[in-house]
Amino acid sequence: MTDNLLDVTETILDITLFISFIAISLSLILLLIRMLKGPTNPDRAVALDTIGINLMGVAALLAIYLITPNLNDVILLIAILAFLGTVAIAKYLEKGVIIDRDMD
Amino acid sequence: MYKPNDLILRTTTSLIAFILLGFAVYLLFAGHNSPGGGFIGGLVTAAAIVLMYMAYGIETVDKVLPINFETLISIGLITAIVTGLGSFLFDVPFLSHTFDYFEFPIFGEVELATAMLFDIGVYFTVVGVTVTIILNIANDQ
Amino acid sequence: MSNLVVLPIIIPLLAGVIVALFNKKVAVTRTLTKLFSILNLGVAAYLSWIVFTTDSIILETGEWVAPYGIILVADPLASLLVLTTNIVAVACAFYAPHSLSLRQETHYFYAFYFFLITGVSGAFLTGDLFNLFVFFEVLLMASYALIVLGGERIQLRESIKYVLINLFSSILFVTAVAFIYGAVGTVNMAQIAERVQIQGQDGVLTTVAILLFFVFATKAALFPLYYWMPKSYIVPNTVVSALFGALLTKVGIYSILRVFSLIFVHKLELTHETFIWIAGLSMLFGVIGALSTNNIKLIIAYNIIPAIGFILMGLGVFNQDGMSGSVYYLVHDMIIKTALFLIVGVIAYVAGTSDLRKMGGLIHYYPGLGWLLFVAAFVLAGIPPFSGFIGKLLLLQGTLSEYEVVITIIALISSLLILYSVMKIFIRGFWGEKDETGKYEKKSTKGLIGPIVYLLAFSIFLGVGAEWIVPSVESISTYLLDPEIYIESVLKE
Repeated sequence: MTDNLLDVTETILDITLFISFIAISLSLILLLIRMLKGPTNPDRAVALDTIGINLMGVAALLAIYLITPNLNDVILLIAILAFLGTVAIAKYLEKGVIIDRDMD
Repeated sequence: MYKPNDLILRTTTSLIAFILLGFAVYLLFAGHNSPGGGFIGGLVTAAAIVLMYMAYGIETVDKVLPINFETLISIGLITAIVTGLGSFLFDVPFLSHTFDYFEFPIFGEVELATAMLFDIGVYFTVVGVTVTIILNIANDQ
Repeated sequence: MSNLVVLPIIIPLLAGVIVALFNKKVAVTRTLTKLFSILNLGVAAYLSWIVFTTDSIILETGEWVAPYGIILVADPLASLLVLTTNIVAVACAFYAPHSLSLRQETHYFYAFYFFLITGVSGAFLTGDLFNLFVFFEVLLMASYALIVLGGERIQLRESIKYVLINLFSSILFVTAVAFIYGAVGTVNMAQIAERVQIQGQDGVLTTVAILLFFVFATKAALFPLYYWMPKSYIVPNTVVSALFGALLTKVGIYSILRVFSLIFVHKLELTHETFIWIAGLSMLFGVIGALSTNNIKLIIAYNIIPAIGFILMGLGVFNQDGMSGSVYYLVHDMIIKTALFLIVGVIAYVAGTSDLRKMGGLIHYYPGLGWLLFVAAFVLAGIPPFSGFIGKLLLLQGTLSEYEVVITIIALISSLLILYSVMKIFIRGFWGEKDETGKYEKKSTKGLIGPIVYLLAFSIFLGVGAEWIVPSVESISTYLLDPEIYIESVLKE
């Protein structure tokens, strides 16, 4: 009985993973189109940030698929880089300068 | 001149920079046997410092962090090289490493390896190089 | 003590970092540079003495045994070249403070100078094809920084060309290493040689060999890949030109010498026969370039190309005399090219121009400098009893014993033309009426002449002391012609 339950869980997990991968891939493609098309630079910035979040999703799904905890650091790193990148782009769009000499 | 309101950025930076620095130290010390190491730890530290520069501007951060990053490159490189030279003292081939287990009050049993010292050198070098490059590019107006 | 091998790489690295730390205090950096370069010369001399009196030293870093870990091999050829590199480096260290502007010195000249020496020594000493690439990158990074030192407009233009061509050949280098790894499953040079011997040098391996030759020929500025070299080498400061001219191209030709005497020696009629023709064309085109210009620095820069041609010619005939000639000529050329670059640097400084048409009568003001140039020209062209003569004698014995008559004639003609191209500087620059208009008021050449005399002394010793040196060089060529010795000493079977 328990074996059977485990099998069912594994099948469900496989199917879920499969669907999630396809969904994330589709959303990545859509985001890529948004990034290329624009029409304005803030649109592109938002698309880039969302691509970062999607990449974290891909890494997490891969960690489930490969059954490894080693990708956790990678997910954190992608989050940090995406955050920094977004902050930098946002500041550039707003002020034209990323690191000011004197703020006050 | 238009003055943007970056209250949110400044507030989150003071929190996130500390998380980043903690993560960097974790990566530095995890690097011996699992993913991580001096290079990636240095990059994350540099990210934290750059974030502070973005939020507060060069003059403020220079006051808070009075570090000459070009000197930091030299210090890191010297650390790394001197670690290698340790092999001369013990008469083993260059870059040989060794490790042992130690008991610490809070952390319990910890593995300490000489490769760690080399990694710390790499860490300082990477922090120095990355921040120097980014600040130079940012200053180029 | 096998750790000795790593010292010629580690000392300059440490010195470079320490010097960078004291960057703003020029007096300190100058003293440290001189001390460290002399220390390094001492270590290199001790290393070569040990290698020549006993046997090659192999260092397996981190106690990883030969085919798996990173190894450094100090065999006679490598240690001899490291020694020569350091002889040249000491001269440049003493010349630099008098030739560079303060601004160039505080822009980390000394640090990058030491990193360049690190890369060159590493490239000579490594026993691993991938690490050869790594050390190439180390020396190229340092050279990128050195070539733009000063930041004049023409320097930036030439450095773009230099950086692009070197990046491109580096890409090809990694690709070739990857191909070799795919074909034989290792990057350790001794093991590659062993496996190529066993499975035979088939079409794939020969193609990779040609690719590697292309890469090294680009770095060594052989025909037809020399077009980027002369102008990029003359735009930086004299010391930098001297270092580049003496070391960078020589690392390229050393790699050819190593790879094609150790690994790819099973299709001689395909590879080495081609080398002879490439060598001949390099000599001819290099000399034509040197004759075609009136810029004294450019004349010397163009003279690098025929010298590389001579060294390749010895490898091409691939017999005892030819290889001895190549090794001898390699050492000779590293020293004399540095001396010549430094001499024309002084000439350009005292005359205020590097254009021959605007000079004349310098001998009335600087007789010593004139005679130094005269001697250097004789050494370069190979007038007996100077060192160029011994090298060329060995090389021509090599070619004649293989009945390669055409290349012998080309070599002789180009030697004569080399002499003419350098003598042109002497005749046009130093002869002539004493200039009374006061165009050249006496400038101080303090500190500039010493390093040149030191280098020429070494060069003359190479020629006059040939009786003691040639047996060692011949033992190196015997060693190079038998790859088994290298393979056994590294893999310890």
